[in-house]
Amino acid sequence: MAIFDWQSELNRDGHRVVISGQPIAMHCHHYNINLQKTLEETLGAEGVELLYRSVEETNYHALRHLLNQYKKIRTLKSKLEMAALLYQNCGLGIIHFKKVRPNSAYIVSTSSHHVTGWLAKHGRRNTPGCHFSRGWIAGTLEVIYERPLSYYVVEENECKMQRDEACVFHVKER
Amino acid sequence: MAIDVSKIIHAVMEGSKIRESKGIIPLFGVYLSLFSVNYYNRLSFDFEIKMGKQREDEAKALLIEAAQECGYATFQGIRDSWEWEQVVAPMIESKEDQISGFVAVAVAFGWGDLAVEELIPGKKLIIRASDSYEASGYLEQHGLAKSEKCYMLRGVTGAFMDLIYGGDYPGGLYVFSAAETSCRAKGDAYCEFIARKSSHRPDA
Repeated sequence: MAIFDWQSELNRDGHRVVISGQPIAMHCHHYNINLQKTLEETLGAEGVELLYRSVEETNYHALRHLLNQYKKIRTLKSKLEMAALLYQNCGLGIIHFKKVRPNSAYIVSTSSHHVTGWLAKHGRRNTPGCHFSRGWIAGTLEVIYERPLSYYVVEENECKMQRDEACVFHVKER
Repeated sequence: MAIDVSKIIHAVMEGSKIRESKGIIPLFGVYLSLFSVNYYNRLSFDFEIKMGKQREDEAKALLIEAAQECGYATFQGIRDSWEWEQVVAPMIESKEDQISGFVAVAVAFGWGDLAVEELIPGKKLIIRASDSYEASGYLEQHGLAKSEKCYMLRGVTGAFMDLIYGGDYPGGLYVFSAAETSCRAKGDAYCEFIARKSSHRPDA
């Protein structure tokens, strides 16, 4: 995994910030959580779905672009490690791919930007709230297993926003 | 002394490479994340579409409010931070310099090539950008727009004035509000944001 040099991937291209040449923005928990809350409160389930799909699609294209640049990263294990490293280095948190198969997966997150941000701004909530992470996981596995977008559905069964021990995600085919 | 934008950009780029063990980036008093601009654009513009024609104004207002409230809390955290104290504060000679410091941080965050065009203390702020990620993203994803599209930068421009001239934090939110008077997404040469006192505030 030493072949994926994170530090050299984060750069500036003039006034733009890029990761592997793709433009990114730095945003803080205030904005990310405000957007989530706005979508949930205004559109309900449709807003949650919009957030999930937006992350899924964006991460799908970004990760596919990155893996195309790192052809030596070929095994499932190394691809998952790279994805987890990317998640961590983007400040999104820690993600553990516990059990990953082509048709199902079990994933645990012990820390995340959205959990930290939500709890800091709004405290405990009564429903799982890691829609961003669910979409991110879906996009990641669709790239790694070379499946089309929307192939997987990711559910969050436990969530630290509800004060569970960890965020636990289950993945299955749609 | 003028605000040295490159110094601030360097501090943000170096700081954003430091993570705590939990994969969180605490920098300038906030938790930062790094993610594709396509995500933010998709979220905003599809939200507008889903809200439909009848709720178009409400969608815009919600996106601007989300950004203004965020900008107000974020930049308050930033100017209270150790990094601001060390990197930016030594370059600040007047209250107005803080706005230039805020703009430099926004540029460092990859929000666009923002620059202060005009500042009338307590009254008016004009910020321009010839490449905001919102306008560029809209053009790429949807083509020419019929109306202005930089909701995040519009809210943030209002927040900058709230923080400097709105009174004590946290009572100054929405004392100012900004309009986007031209936008690249609808074919203008640049995006321009003008913040003035809000007419709906009792103290305006």
